[in-house]
Amino acid sequence: MAGFLYMSDLNTLVSPSLNGPALTYTIVVRCGADQQSQALSAFRFTQQVLSQGHQVLRVFFYQQGVLWSSGFRVIPQDELNLTALWQQLSLDYDVELGVCIAAALQSGIVDPQESTRYELEGQNLASQFMLVGLGQLAAASAESDRLVSFGG
Amino acid sequence: MSCLITLSHAPYGSQSAKESLDVALVLAAFEQQPAVLFVDEGILQLLPTGQSPCSHKHIGKIISALEMYEINDLWVEQESLDQFGLMVDDLSQPVKVINRANVSQLCSQYDQHLVF
Repeated sequence: MAGFLYMSDLNTLVSPSLNGPALTYTIVVRCGADQQSQALSAFRFTQQVLSQGHQVLRVFFYQQGVLWSSGFRVIPQDELNLTALWQQLSLDYDVELGVCIAAALQSGIVDPQESTRYELEGQNLASQFMLVGLGQLAAASAESDRLVSFGG
Repeated sequence: MSCLITLSHAPYGSQSAKESLDVALVLAAFEQQPAVLFVDEGILQLLPTGQSPCSHKHIGKIISALEMYEINDLWVEQESLDQFGLMVDDLSQPVKVINRANVSQLCSQYDQHLVF
């Protein structure tokens, strides 16, 4: 990641102004922990879209991106915790954070329901995130003016 | 809502090819009429292969399912074919060939464009 960014820096980026009509967005996050700057771009873009008055129908985490939904990630205090940022954004703007269930299960990310289903010891899906099918990406994109994907 | 999906990942070595084809199939199942553009190493997904590595699902089988899902618009980029010394006849599916210079025009025909 080029340069350090702290949470306080991110908060100052917010500049509410809507030029033109409000649009509906679907955001796809496919980049994982080894693509920090792309993952940060995805977050900042989503944050900007929302702060400018547009609507985000769903943020969909797929491929490596499902990692951000793990509640078991431990981030050093002086580093950016993207999972926490997404959670706060979801609370602030009531945005749905959908995680591809197939990719999540393969990456060892489970909610209580899946944990029971597969008789696993514990569950680690971070709060605000939701395990959903790939169909939810198709459904959201069908209703969105813009489909923006990060990572690859 | 129409969607163009660009696939640029080699069939094996990572799950990327499989996961991006899954998106194409799901979009088709939701009647969004996706078209697929193969570029770079992505065109290798169209090579007929007898066997897949044991760690991967057979990409050729997913490719041949595209037609069943009514994904009939398969594009390959001419420059990518040249890069690998391949010709259209080498590929497992009937495809349309497009020059790199015309790709942006192709993109503009679709409401959405997903790049893998």
